[in-house]
Amino acid sequence: MADSKEIKQALLGPVFANNPIALQVLGVCSALAVTSSLKNALIMTMAVMVVTAFSSMFISMLRNHIPSSVRIIVQMTIIASVVIIVDQVLQAYSYATAKELSVFVGLIITNCIVMGRAEAYAMKTGPMMSFVDGLGNGLGYGVVLLTVGFIRELFGKGTLFDVSIIPLVADGGWYHPMGLLILPPSSFFIIGLFIWVLRTYKKDQVEKA
Amino acid sequence: MSSNKESIGKTLGVVVGLCLVCAILVSTAAVQLRPLQAINKAIDVQTNILAAAGIEVKDGADISALFSENVEAKVVNMKTGKFVDTDPNSFDFEKSKFDQKISIKLDKQTDIAGIQRMTKESPVYFAKENGKISTIILPVQGYGLWGVMFGFIALDVDTTTVKNINFYKHSETPGLGGEIQNPKWVATWAGKQLPVDIIKGYTGNEINKLDGLSGATLTSIGVDNTFKFWTGENGFGPFLAEVRKGALN
Repeated sequence: MADSKEIKQALLGPVFANNPIALQVLGVCSALAVTSSLKNALIMTMAVMVVTAFSSMFISMLRNHIPSSVRIIVQMTIIASVVIIVDQVLQAYSYATAKELSVFVGLIITNCIVMGRAEAYAMKTGPMMSFVDGLGNGLGYGVVLLTVGFIRELFGKGTLFDVSIIPLVADGGWYHPMGLLILPPSSFFIIGLFIWVLRTYKKDQVEKA
Repeated sequence: MSSNKESIGKTLGVVVGLCLVCAILVSTAAVQLRPLQAINKAIDVQTNILAAAGIEVKDGADISALFSENVEAKVVNMKTGKFVDTDPNSFDFEKSKFDQKISIKLDKQTDIAGIQRMTKESPVYFAKENGKISTIILPVQGYGLWGVMFGFIALDVDTTTVKNINFYKHSETPGLGGEIQNPKWVATWAGKQLPVDIIKGYTGNEINKLDGLSGATLTSIGVDNTFKFWTGENGFGPFLAEVRKGALN
């Protein structure tokens, strides 16, 4: 059984040291799409955490029975089922957010982080640790999403969680919102800057040219 | 233990078993949660209609009760403009137009809102004030920049004064076209007279002209077309004519 230090490593390691977006550059597609507002980014983070954690756990439980010739398909089936269930639960209990995220929740199925963790970790490790690893990677994904969402919503719309922070010119204030930040390509710049800052701080992440 | 896990029999067994388990889980979740989802959907529609009617909804209020208290729903035939006896609650604003039995295809010339098909019958809603009908709420849809925008427009009983608009579902760019939901812009509609023209950069006070959204020219054109279509002769025109003749009395 894993001790607490190992659990902590699996949970918090992916946040900065081994961040799925910044270091492995996985799951960037959805990071572009859902970060125009902080609220969407937060819900997406939670949805991805739940999906990665549970799909990793189920895959890990079955890892000794999954034939290697069809393992990717088996993983996809499990991930897809978890995603559909999450989507159904959101629609039943949090309709407003489900409506806003509808397409993107479905797209968690294709989020490379979920597949990546299933293939790289859950196939070799026990259910409990796989669950924690899934949570941790969801968290790492979330840190980037929330950072990008924070910058995009604050400077693109002058709001945070739809609450006005900087008064806009259109509403009689002084701030001209940066239209570019609202559009998906701006996330590329912000994620790029995030990676730059992270690699300046953690030099071991810099790849050899 | 997994020495023969690669055999064909085992592979088939695992795959079939897994599919079965997943299928059962997913369908159970879908069936069990469907009633809740249907209620949510109905409440969502009612909330949007109440918002279009300008009826304030407090947090935690019983929306269904508020709705049945203040709003009356009826179905009209789009061509004749007369009321028909169809159940207004079973209508799906997004899917009904794809049902071949109850919808028609629009030809290019009439389809200025870019919706391709429309239903032959549509629900309309009446908001009451002190027991008297004060507002007519019409469901509308039209193509914006990225996709179809769904909304309600609220007209005064004189059928030409706009009271409110509420585009509750759209896929316009947040911060640009998405500003069709901005209360400040929505407020500029109140009191305008049909037919309304949306003119970019308009700053005057004329009763049938209004400023578009900055940075969202195509969305503004979409809204303009949506209004023209649904208040015109192929939309609710015949119904509004019936109202002017006194259909509500």
